Amino acid sequence: MVAVDGLVHTVPMGSEITDGEIVVSGLTKHYKQVRAVDGLSFTVKPGRVTGFLGPNGAGKTTTLRMVLNLVTPTAGTATIGGSRYADLAAPLQSVGAVLEASSAHKGRTGRNHLRVLCAAAGLPDTRADEVLELVGLAPAAKRKFKGYSLGMKQRLGIAAAMLGDPQVLILDEPANGLDPEGIRWMRDFLQALAKRGRTILVSSHLLSEMELLADDVVIIAAGRLVAQGSVEEIIGNASSVAKVRVRTPKPDALLAALTGATAERPEDGVLLLSGVTAEQVGDAALAAGVALHELVAEMPDLERVFLDLTAGKEAIR
Amino acid sequence: MNLIRSEFRKIRTTNVWWLFAIGALVLLALSFTINALNMHYGVLHQPDGGGVDPNSEEGAQLAALATPVALTSYMVTSGQYFGLMFVMLLGIITVTNEYYHQTATTTFLTTPHRTRVIVAKAVAGGFFGVLLWVITTAITIPATAIFLNGEGITPKFGDPDVIRAMLLNGVAYALWALIGIGIGVLIRSQIGATITAMVVYTVGTIAVSIIVTVLKNVLHWNWVDNIQWAMPSIASGLMTSGTDLPGQPHYWVGALVLIAWAAVTGVIGTLILRKRDIA
Ligand SMILES: Nc1ncnc2c1ncn2[C@@H]1O[C@H](COP(=O)(O)OP(=O)(O)OP(=O)(O)O)[C@@H](O)[C@H]1O
Ligand SMILES: [Mg+2]
Repeated sequence: MVAVDGLVHTVPMGSEITDGEIVVSGLTKHYKQVRAVDGLSFTVKPGRVTGFLGPNGAGKTTTLRMVLNLVTPTAGTATIGGSRYADLAAPLQSVGAVLEASSAHKGRTGRNHLRVLCAAAGLPDTRADEVLELVGLAPAAKRKFKGYSLGMKQRLGIAAAMLGDPQVLILDEPANGLDPEGIRWMRDFLQALAKRGRTILVSSHLLSEMELLADDVVIIAAGRLVAQGSVEEIIGNASSVAKVRVRTPKPDALLAALTGATAERPEDGVLLLSGVTAEQVGDAALAAGVALHELVAEMPDLERVFLDLTAGKEAIR
Repeated sequence: MNLIRSEFRKIRTTNVWWLFAIGALVLLALSFTINALNMHYGVLHQPDGGGVDPNSEEGAQLAALATPVALTSYMVTSGQYFGLMFVMLLGIITVTNEYYHQTATTTFLTTPHRTRVIVAKAVAGGFFGVLLWVITTAITIPATAIFLNGEGITPKFGDPDVIRAMLLNGVAYALWALIGIGIGVLIRSQIGATITAMVVYTVGTIAVSIIVTVLKNVLHWNWVDNIQWAMPSIASGLMTSGTDLPGQPHYWVGALVLIAWAAVTGVIGTLILRKRDIA
């Protein structure tokens, strides 16, 4: 069951903004000790899931909080659908956010927490029960927040973000504390929303998860942009680091037949070649009459590319 | 309006409000009893005049207090001292809860205009203050009637001065919620804000009285007498004294002082909150 089917509305809501493009331009935040974010610019397109990646302390949370008017930038601007967050007529109906260090009153039930928000945003109370259903938290609706598990708290955060059925979703490490089932549910959920034209911006450390989830990625390090593009582009651009793995009884003969290749020998009879494509290796082997027992093009994954791109950048500052 | 509803809901969906209500009512009973004993032995039935020279300022004050109007105002506004403290604490908690329970993020995501949030908190806090005043007064009116009749004095509930004192008491309850909200913004830590406010409210009030008395008696600086009225808790009492007692400023001085405190804490708090990063 892809949960978007659960987006039943008792009232016509319609998002306040129709085009949910997020534009970050020259965003900068200096704290006393650090430049948390330093002249950062990127855009996030509607209809796609965009992964926001960076090592610890790269400035992801600070950036998202500036986009949401919670932290005042030192310089630069951020707009959602063309207006600043503070200028949105109905913020909760336009943008939903799940952020770190955001929580609920320990002594309040999950349902009452959502109802407090419904009242503030002018939404009917029934929305609280709808979103609880949506995130699978309905059984715990009347229990106090202090008794919730980490994953349940995270789900309540997602429920709160979905209250206004927003055009734009911004999530900071939403997979934190979710079980495998929950992570899978969230992936399906976010992808289904993106298919319906919503803008989804998700920060995460789980790169393998991101590779499955995201269409686009924005990679930052030390507060600056490192790379932006679709996942294929980012990985494709990095194909210079792609390697070809060959197993052959005559590695030296094969190497002699290849030009421009550098080789590693991880084990006997195995070559790990860079600077050549699998096709070139196959052709050279045929021409030289060398038998191949294995020929694999090892495409780098997002994790590999991420580590290469952010290597050498100061990590924790 | 939506925001006010939301702030009401925040107060109603936790158990602070009824814990505070119980605390305020218990202390109301206590302070009414103390005031009654004080009036009985200190003002109405002083053995041989208590040795107080009726021509001194103190003697004149006692005489003025012994009038039915002053007695009625004094008794009917019993419980103010602790009631106001609870309203202030409620104000503090409505703000510091947002930090303590990390709900500030969600609150300001829902309402990016932070001034509106403060205004809504002030209205909701003020409402609960007034509610506490209504309940307190509904208890002290009959209690005052019983006590004064027992003393052989006819209570003067219809007197304009008494009515004014009772209404201004209600205003004090509302204004103290605002003062509490201002304190909560200035001191974000829940424990820090509550303890500071309670210490200043109780010990601070007494300390100022003692310092003023000492300065007056030792150094003969009579002007310092006027400084104590700037203390919000003392100003609240002045505002609700039915008659002008000799040696005291008029009641409206107390009202002005209190409004000034509420306005200053509220405005400074709001200005700070508008700038502050929510992390
Ligand atoms: N309120 C603050 N005061 C001072 N420095 C801060 C503050 N908030 C963040 N920083 C600093 O800014 C930098 C960026 O922090 P941020 O939380 O944005 O990183 P992040 O990318 O979200 O990291 P993580 O992956 O660990 O969540 C860090 O060096 C951090 O110490
Ligand atoms: Mg972070």
